[in-house]
Amino acid sequence: MAFSEMLAQLASGAVFTVLVTVACCATALAVGLLSACARRVFPFPAVIRALDLFAFVFRGIPVLVLLFLVYFGLPGAGIRVSPLGAMMLSLGVISGAYLAEVFRGALDAVDAAEIMAAQSMGMSRWQVFLHIELPQMMRFSVPGMVNEFTNVLKYSPFGYTVGIPEMTKQALVLSSATLRGVEIYLAAGILYFLVYRLLLVGVRVLEKHWRVPGMGPAHLQDQPV
Amino acid sequence: MALIEIRRLRKLFDGHPVLNGVDIDVAEGDVKVVMGPSGCGKSTLLRCINRLVEPSSGSIHFRGAEVTGPDVNVRSLRQQIGFLFQQFALYRHLSVLDNTALGLRKLKGMKKKEAAERALHELNRLDMAGHRHKFPAHLSGGQKQRVALARALAMDPAVILLDEPTSALDPVMAREVAQLINRLHGEGVTMLCVTHDLEFASAIAERVAFLDEGIVQVEDRLSVLYEDHAHPSIRNFFMKQERSS
Amino acid sequence: MWAEFFRDLVDQGPLIMRGLGDSLLLTAIVSLTGFFLGLVVFYFRHCQFAIIRLILRGYISFFIGMPLIVLLFLMYYGLPPWGVSLSPFSVAVIGFTFNVAAYNAAYLTTAYHALDSAELEAARAAGFRPFQVFRLITLPQVLRFSVPALTNQVIRNLKDSSVAFLIQFNDFFSRVQELAATNFMFFRAYLFAAVVYLLLVMVLVLIARQIERRVMIPGVYIAPESLGSSAV
Repeated sequence: MAFSEMLAQLASGAVFTVLVTVACCATALAVGLLSACARRVFPFPAVIRALDLFAFVFRGIPVLVLLFLVYFGLPGAGIRVSPLGAMMLSLGVISGAYLAEVFRGALDAVDAAEIMAAQSMGMSRWQVFLHIELPQMMRFSVPGMVNEFTNVLKYSPFGYTVGIPEMTKQALVLSSATLRGVEIYLAAGILYFLVYRLLLVGVRVLEKHWRVPGMGPAHLQDQPV
Repeated sequence: MALIEIRRLRKLFDGHPVLNGVDIDVAEGDVKVVMGPSGCGKSTLLRCINRLVEPSSGSIHFRGAEVTGPDVNVRSLRQQIGFLFQQFALYRHLSVLDNTALGLRKLKGMKKKEAAERALHELNRLDMAGHRHKFPAHLSGGQKQRVALARALAMDPAVILLDEPTSALDPVMAREVAQLINRLHGEGVTMLCVTHDLEFASAIAERVAFLDEGIVQVEDRLSVLYEDHAHPSIRNFFMKQERSS
Repeated sequence: MWAEFFRDLVDQGPLIMRGLGDSLLLTAIVSLTGFFLGLVVFYFRHCQFAIIRLILRGYISFFIGMPLIVLLFLMYYGLPPWGVSLSPFSVAVIGFTFNVAAYNAAYLTTAYHALDSAELEAARAAGFRPFQVFRLITLPQVLRFSVPALTNQVIRNLKDSSVAFLIQFNDFFSRVQELAATNFMFFRAYLFAAVVYLLLVMVLVLIARQIERRVMIPGVYIAPESLGSSAV
């Protein structure tokens, strides 16, 4: 088998890798945003405690264990989940728990006086979150989000264990067929790395577009000119 | 009838009275100044009026209606009352123009273009229109204060509450803010200002109410208060002011 | 049903305990080797030779951007045709070490950027040689800054050790799966595994808090989430 054919097969897997990564990142964002929103819009002790517990539990369970629990364990309880769904419910939700912590830290960096100013204008709790806290939180969270989305990409190979034909699966098939494992996995590693760099470039572009001159977290704020 | 009538207002924090029976009236078109040492409850007083702080007892009438109690529409009350914070509290992620237009769009339901025009009008009034695309981090303290005022004025409030508007400014800027307030007063804007800055107070009002230990100790012309030093707490306050300046 | 599960669990107890021991051993070893290799990488990441700095920057970036499992497969499935057969445990130790070292070096580098450069200049001006400055001034501070991130990494190592069963290493998770394969109680088995990992993580978190309390410099704190791949 020519090396170009192998690369083509790896690339066909890369499509699924990107699909899994995007789906799990979207899940993580949804979970993280919901958690951040609940924390601010319904700041009752019971809600806060439940959110803290959620974040702690899902950050303490290995992705692979949760994936197997969802995909191989739940059918025993009568619940069938698709392979992609299982990835989203395990990798996506765990990353969501990490993102929730990133967002929590970013929310703490929003200036309390601005929140009070918005309230004293007559905004509801939800409006304050939507128009003041959320836009600042998202900007403060960029480094944390990059970390987390990188992690999602790097755990996406677990998809092969539930039958998703992503890049690592293609590499496994190719290497057992050709016995050229070193080159194949090296090529796969480089392809993963390229996807990662592409993700970084994408974030830079977005960050530049949404950047607010001179704005940093409240405690790092520069002095008035 | 006064625009704001405060009667026997009390506020306890952990059983300790911060306000202990305050009576104050603010007439339409008036600039009312409340002075007092730090910790005398000045900020709490302002925050009771727009319900950022829940009063413990007493009554506050705004435009003739009681604003304390559970049945009041707090959000609609707050939309009629502008509030200027010590630290300006501009939204850091929004440009000067967007800071001023946000309330118009999201609370008054104006279209983007209409809100921008209205906001620009207010910024023009405070000589900040040229800075409309800048972000708060790139403004001086005095400029931030003007934007905060424009943001409050844009909502067309019945009164603006000012909480120590000069404490974060240097003396030159504080004088500018005083001139600005006098101009707005001339245009008929009602204001209630709490401050411990004697120079600033004398620049914007002839009469002040003096708040100490949770009650209004005396209300009179500043010159009278300053010369007579009749009341012991006033004497203390003015002596400290002189020492610090 | 649960009673039945726990009866089987007790039957297989010795094997499962052995798996747990192997998981913890792997975690401990790679935490140490990854820490020390990370230190070395960090040191040379700031050495005077531009070419070495460039290579190490590339190393950190590549290992942070590439899945660990690909590296493990490369060694486990790729090397035997080249005549190099490594045991699953060796593959896991080597693969994890390179991966963990890259992360640790990145954390240390972020902390290094937060250092007061005037302090380093003062040390150099006082006549300390570069390695002395590194050992006496840079390292103690950078290590303290990085404690939350470094302890977080140990917790990650424990959770990631479950990946090693994909290269036939008989860790705790693989033993639990064997148990599930005999009685078909997959849900219970995986739930049990999840709870065990969670409890171990809790223990590690408590230990990490103790270390943080002891070695942190008062008034200086860098949140772990602010350290990471963005540093590279």
